Amino acid sequence: MRILVVEDDAETAAYLVGGLKEEGHAVSCSANGRDGLFAATTENFDLLIVDRMLPGLDGLTLVKTLRASRIETPVLFLTTMSGIDDRVTGLNAGGDDYLVKPFAFAELIARVNALGRRPRGTSAESYFRVADLELDLLGRVVKRAGHVIALQPREFRLLEYLMRHAGQVVTRTMLLDNVWNYHFDPRTNVVESHLSRLRTKIDKGFTPELIQTVRGAGYCLRAPD
Amino acid sequence: MHPIRLIRTSSFRLTLLYAGLFIASVLVLFAMTYWFATQHAAQDEINEIGAEFVSIQDEAAVAGDNRLPMIIEDHLRRRADVRPVYLLENAAGDKLAGNIDAMPQKLGPMVLDLMLGGEFHEVRAHGYSLPGAGYLLIGQDTPVLREMEELIFRTFGFGIAITLLLAVLGGVIVSNSMLRRVEAVSRTAQAIVGHDLSQRVPMRGTDDEFDHLAASVNGMLGRIEDLMRSIRQVSNDIAHDLRTPLTRLRQKLEHARRRATTVEELQDALDGSIAQMDAILETFGALLRIAQIEAGGRAAPVAAIDVSKLLAGIVEDFSPVAEDQGQSLVATIDAGLTVCGDPELLTQMIINLVDNAIRHSPKGARITVQAKLAGEKLELAVADTGPGIPPHERENVLRPFYRLDASRTTEGSGLGLSLVAAIVKRHHATLSLADNQPGLRVAVVFKGAA
Repeated sequence: MRILVVEDDAETAAYLVGGLKEEGHAVSCSANGRDGLFAATTENFDLLIVDRMLPGLDGLTLVKTLRASRIETPVLFLTTMSGIDDRVTGLNAGGDDYLVKPFAFAELIARVNALGRRPRGTSAESYFRVADLELDLLGRVVKRAGHVIALQPREFRLLEYLMRHAGQVVTRTMLLDNVWNYHFDPRTNVVESHLSRLRTKIDKGFTPELIQTVRGAGYCLRAPD
Repeated sequence: MHPIRLIRTSSFRLTLLYAGLFIASVLVLFAMTYWFATQHAAQDEINEIGAEFVSIQDEAAVAGDNRLPMIIEDHLRRRADVRPVYLLENAAGDKLAGNIDAMPQKLGPMVLDLMLGGEFHEVRAHGYSLPGAGYLLIGQDTPVLREMEELIFRTFGFGIAITLLLAVLGGVIVSNSMLRRVEAVSRTAQAIVGHDLSQRVPMRGTDDEFDHLAASVNGMLGRIEDLMRSIRQVSNDIAHDLRTPLTRLRQKLEHARRRATTVEELQDALDGSIAQMDAILETFGALLRIAQIEAGGRAAPVAAIDVSKLLAGIVEDFSPVAEDQGQSLVATIDAGLTVCGDPELLTQMIINLVDNAIRHSPKGARITVQAKLAGEKLELAVADTGPGIPPHERENVLRPFYRLDASRTTEGSGLGLSLVAAIVKRHHATLSLADNQPGLRVAVVFKGAA
């Protein structure tokens, strides 16, 4: 992926650029908002990683300006502001995801992958299939190898999210954000508990196991090669 | 008190204004009394003079006009008590009888300035022309009228003097006492500026406006003092509670630096350190969040939230967690309850309470999430059958970082209940910890259902 990092702190920028390059992405970097806006409007990127607080032009205005000129490149906001409203204002300004510093690099990579591979505007898709696991959003039916599997509503949403991001690593925080809509850490094993139940329902007695735990990062739904 | 300052006080000025108004009304009263009283007395004199003329004429008619001087001399003697004035002149203007000098023959009513008994007197008189072409002037200077005038002047003079005295005295007393109380508030404020936050404005127990003011000011001071104390306490606690994990982190890193011989060992030590670091960052995050909630940066949404639905969702989400711990999580929630508030904060509040119950209760415990209307008020509660909290510790556990000895080893920042308390306060609700017999029951009561 071609990624533009707009970050004024040189050390953080170097850390981000280095890490993303290791993951095989092509990364450019701007140290202030104006350069970032210029780069984002003149070049083609698959993803922008934008710090909220920037000299020259702040991240929020940068993204608003981009969206106003119909540039729909996905944006991941980085911020040290963990205010309850900050996330909402960030997303309202046209950001697609929001990550509060400090973060684990695995978290960033997972979110970058989730954003980058998401073709914008196709969330209306209603049928997903991974190996012999099927999920039909309209009929609200889940089948494994043709057998209908009964899921609790939350388990259904969890599976839907995993299937939308099939093949990608999703972190615990991403699940909390998107499946539970909890933008704080409940500290209890709410994700683990539901995931283990979901696993029992869709993987037990079937091969191969589709929900895999990625150590130190999160979970991944995929058919093993 | 300095006299200049006294005069500059608004209460004193107000008193003077009232005194002025009062004196003015006294003066009006005086003028009217004086006017009516003297008018009446003057009319009496005029009538008496008229009667006197008639009586002299009658006597002259009997005795003959040439006896007139004798009649007048006789009247002069008889009516000495009213200080009469008579003057009889012939047509040529020569004085025939009377007790004053000859003067031009002026007719009708008049007021004369006459020298009587060594001093000037204003004398009311009337000039008549006699049928035999003579002139008769009759007048009198009644002492009663004079005395009455003097009495009225003296009475009102005293009255005004006393009114003025009372007004000034009253003004001094009233403004003095008011100033003293304002002064007390000002002294307290100065002491507080001088860093003694424990000072309070004295109250008299008179339940007047000054007592109300003192009570409000004292209430404000109490709140400020509480806040200051909790800020000091929190800074202290933060310093202490972050030192411990930071020390451990440092030890871990130093140990790895010295002892680790393989890459794996070093990576393990680093993983451990990162986990430790994350815990510290989490504590910071929780502190920030509490601070944000307390600062009220987020305007409380006015929308009514269906708490029944919100709680049911949380119970549904967390019952698998409780089951995994060998506990049960159940709901006794009345349907359709609503409250005005922030859905995200209320969710976090309930989750924190449920989370606490799950973590501090043993296997087999039963945790209940309740919501019901108690009269006008909405009560949300999370009750467990765990070890509970002894009554004397219930207040303490709301303090940041405070942990019971029994839970020191349990994972957590010690900020969960502080966060709950902050959210409760934000919603103007009340938080209470009670005995669930056995276990703990944490209840949040909202003032009114939306």
